[in-house]
Amino acid sequence: MAALAVLAAASAHGQAPPAGASPKPGPIKRLADGKPDLSGVFLADHGGANYGLEKHEGTKLTPAGRGVVIDPPDGLLPMQPWAREENENRKLPERGYDDPTAHCFVAGVPRSIYAPSPLQILQPPGYVVILHERMSWRQIPLDGRAHLPDAIRLWQGDSLGRWDGDTLVVDTKNLNGKTWLDELGGVITHQATVVERFIPVDSQTIRYEATVTDPGAYTRPWTIMMPLKRQAGELLEVACHEDNQDLKHLKDIRDEARAKAKKP
Amino acid sequence: MRTALAIGALVWLAAASVVAHHSFAAEFDEDKPVKLTGKLTSMRWSNPHGWIYVDVTGSDGKVVNWAFETSSVNALYRAGWRREDLPVGAVLVIDGWQARNGTPTANAFSITFQDGKRLFAGSPAGAAGTPTPPK
Repeated sequence: MAALAVLAAASAHGQAPPAGASPKPGPIKRLADGKPDLSGVFLADHGGANYGLEKHEGTKLTPAGRGVVIDPPDGLLPMQPWAREENENRKLPERGYDDPTAHCFVAGVPRSIYAPSPLQILQPPGYVVILHERMSWRQIPLDGRAHLPDAIRLWQGDSLGRWDGDTLVVDTKNLNGKTWLDELGGVITHQATVVERFIPVDSQTIRYEATVTDPGAYTRPWTIMMPLKRQAGELLEVACHEDNQDLKHLKDIRDEARAKAKKP
Repeated sequence: MRTALAIGALVWLAAASVVAHHSFAAEFDEDKPVKLTGKLTSMRWSNPHGWIYVDVTGSDGKVVNWAFETSSVNALYRAGWRREDLPVGAVLVIDGWQARNGTPTANAFSITFQDGKRLFAGSPAGAAGTPTPPK
């Protein structure tokens, strides 16, 4: 019923689903202080990144991916052997239960950007705030403060921002290592740090880049890139715990596989 | 209201973008396509996914209530789905893929009404490009 109420409210606001041609791109909008105005609702043109960052074929139930890795140049993630093995293992149906987002946990950094649901960027004084439609958020201070103590670990990490010309650079540490990079089990550990670059292209597009340095699972840093496209409309509610029937189904599949494995 | 209806008609056949919060492939079996005709008993506009329930009468006359999972409610809404489009009792043809656990549960690809109107439920196959119905 909560969802029904939301739909009714959305209609009351006169919100129509995005339809028709996008507005013609104009120049980058700017705030009073001259910094780029990135505010608005955006959706990542993720090209299937939520189902694997490397280029991959689709199946009936898993979208294809065009590959969003721009470094290394071959588009392959420089995984350590154990991470590749774990990534492959997580693709088994019985591992679907282990995806944190199946439990409605937040997606982490950088997956929150390409989860794939819309996000809204706000720029109150001294901050950039990203609201993710899946009911999570990131508050990114721009005041030059130091990161949190290393012992504090967070699902979205601790993100600090600064401007490099017209590019918003966001440095994230203190990640908890519990997230997956995508629905098929891409590995990221608590050793990861992420540097994101939000590069305004025009009034409708932000070029998004994220460089992940994770000595726990990778042999070298790697970088993904995708455009964020401005959207009509507003964010809607996603009360993820409301009716999460999948979790029981996925647990049944896991338990059945475990029972089979135990049989001599 | 007319405007709302016109918008609904325009996007009627638009595929909902896939928004899953878990792997559909883990829960459903690509090798178990289903295409069933049934009578709508309810639709749950709930998170993280919507669910359509239909009574399906088998060849033995036995009625089984099937549950079809859709993409996220928000994706359906943005694709033009509205609550009033799905009255209880409507006869629907639903295709999709059955759950791995063998229960009368499936991932919905599309629903087709008796007048031929068709709505896509945001399954990955629809989102990846030209919709390819289960075969």
